[in-house]
Amino acid sequence: MNDGANAIAIDLRDIRKTYENGPLKVPVLHGITFTVEQGEYVAIMGPSGSGKSTLMNLIGCLDRPTSGTYVLDGVDVSKLDDNALADIRLRKLGFVFQGFNLLARTDAINNVALPLFYAGIAGRKRRELAQRTLEAVGLADRGHHQPTQLSGGQQQRVAIARALINDPAVLLADEPTGNLDSKTSEEIMLLFAKLHASGRTIVMVTHDERIAANARRTIRLLDGLVVADTAAPACSA
Amino acid sequence: MYFREAIDVLLANKVRSLLTILGLIIGVGAVISIQVLGASMAGAVNGLLGGMSDNSFFIVPNTQQRNADEASFKLSDLDAIRRSVDGVAAAIPLAGVNDVVRHGHHAARYFISGESAIPFSNLPVLYGRHIDQRDVDSSAPVCVITNAAYDRLFPGGGDPTGQSVYVGSNRFLIVGVLTAPNRGFINGQFGGDVLIPWTTYDDRYLRNGKFFAARFIATDPGRIGAAETGVIEEMRSLRGKPDLQYQSYDKSQFAQGVNGVFNAMTLIVAFIGAVSLLVAGIGIMNIMLVSVAERTREIGVRKAIGARRSQVLAQFFIEALILCGAGCAIGWAIGIGIGSLVNNVAIVKVTGTIVGVPWAQTIAIAASFAVVVTLAFGTYPAFRAAALDPIEALRYE
Repeated sequence: MNDGANAIAIDLRDIRKTYENGPLKVPVLHGITFTVEQGEYVAIMGPSGSGKSTLMNLIGCLDRPTSGTYVLDGVDVSKLDDNALADIRLRKLGFVFQGFNLLARTDAINNVALPLFYAGIAGRKRRELAQRTLEAVGLADRGHHQPTQLSGGQQQRVAIARALINDPAVLLADEPTGNLDSKTSEEIMLLFAKLHASGRTIVMVTHDERIAANARRTIRLLDGLVVADTAAPACSA
Repeated sequence: MYFREAIDVLLANKVRSLLTILGLIIGVGAVISIQVLGASMAGAVNGLLGGMSDNSFFIVPNTQQRNADEASFKLSDLDAIRRSVDGVAAAIPLAGVNDVVRHGHHAARYFISGESAIPFSNLPVLYGRHIDQRDVDSSAPVCVITNAAYDRLFPGGGDPTGQSVYVGSNRFLIVGVLTAPNRGFINGQFGGDVLIPWTTYDDRYLRNGKFFAARFIATDPGRIGAAETGVIEEMRSLRGKPDLQYQSYDKSQFAQGVNGVFNAMTLIVAFIGAVSLLVAGIGIMNIMLVSVAERTREIGVRKAIGARRSQVLAQFFIEALILCGAGCAIGWAIGIGIGSLVNNVAIVKVTGTIVGVPWAQTIAIAASFAVVVTLAFGTYPAFRAAALDPIEALRYE
């Protein structure tokens, strides 16, 4: 999916976001512009209050910008309604959260298969695809384990499999190693590197320099503006 | 998938789920058991009235009036009515007496009453025949007995026609046996268990004396009303007293009276049902809201993954539907159980009438309870869940 090196996965132009709290207007993003090509591995960094969560929510189509345009994988999503945004999230985005956010009392296979359920794919097909995706993240034999029976690293792998199962245009990770020890964090970063190597577009929000160093490009935010956009020296991890 | 998930969630909180639907179980159970009992009572009353010809009616002088005595029927009045009132096919005294009936060494007290050649009783004939015109014309000493008397007097079975029984000290030849519905303690049966020609009854019991009220058969059911007024008018003109008061009764009037009682009962049941629905529904809504709040983060994840509003709505709605469905199903089963038990222990013993459980009706009631409670009280929590903002929901701890 990424052979066209110039194909644009994310195209943000002058994105502004202002939260209105009654009469109080709180501007958070003051005009963000950047593009992410397909196959890129980008880390977004910034101190708290810099607007990186807000930017993440916008990129993740969980929210709409106050102004500006956002084209995701060729679709202008800045003006879509809730249902259309839900469909975009379903088909073009994969989320990985800090807290894994797996469904309790639901085994790994069914957690991974959940997006396919919302996409209306039949049960048998769902489980086949989920099993294959679990294999891809190295959990072939954990399909019938409940989240509570899995380690943190394994839970995050299940979550990554869930994010990948619909073959998204962009994999979005919000502090994916925030709840993991350093050894497990390394394993997850290794998995990300592997996904990147296979051509996956990855956007990762983190405040950890060592984690960000895994990415090939780092975008730094401060007070709602991009203050640095640097390519990392080749190869890490 | 929605169903399996919902069932998993509900089973994971078994005690809570059970307590949630307890109100519904009790409410539906109460309504269903009363339905079963009501049907059984209605059936019992119909069984009691069942032996009465659809065309028959009877007229009773009002006992409160000053000349009640004068208003009473005499045999000559009945002759006049038969001759001159349109729509009257038969007219006989309304009278009966309890007497000992014996066959061999088997004996029991039965209600003896007169019968005309056009039968007042519409019970099917098991053996032999009804009383006929010749029996009436000749005041023959013959009788027709119901199977209640037959079973008691002829425990050996077999066709008893041609054999005789003693009624008091008089001998009667059995010409027929009628099939009466089963009966219990309330040995009520219009017409009695031993029917003899009314003329014979007149000879043996009335002895041409006065009697009080009279029974009639109309030529067709549509003319009962006209025949009733005709008889009353005839009596007034025979006595020359236009102010004589009579009361008439027919099967449809009895049925109406009984229906009135049941309509009132239905209204009370409907009220109980409505109250229990409300209380149970509020309980279910409360727990559903708690469940939505507890699972806020899960809802956020589902929405982030790409669940549409309607899909989240469906999930919680189906959970409510399963709760309500289970509550109503359990309530229904308990209601049928209690209703049938009380029915078998009490009502069937008293009236002897066995009435089937109204399956279709009770299932329809329980199912509509489930649907109404789900719609009324499951919709709001489901909407709350569906309307959650995914960003807020994901942040929820």
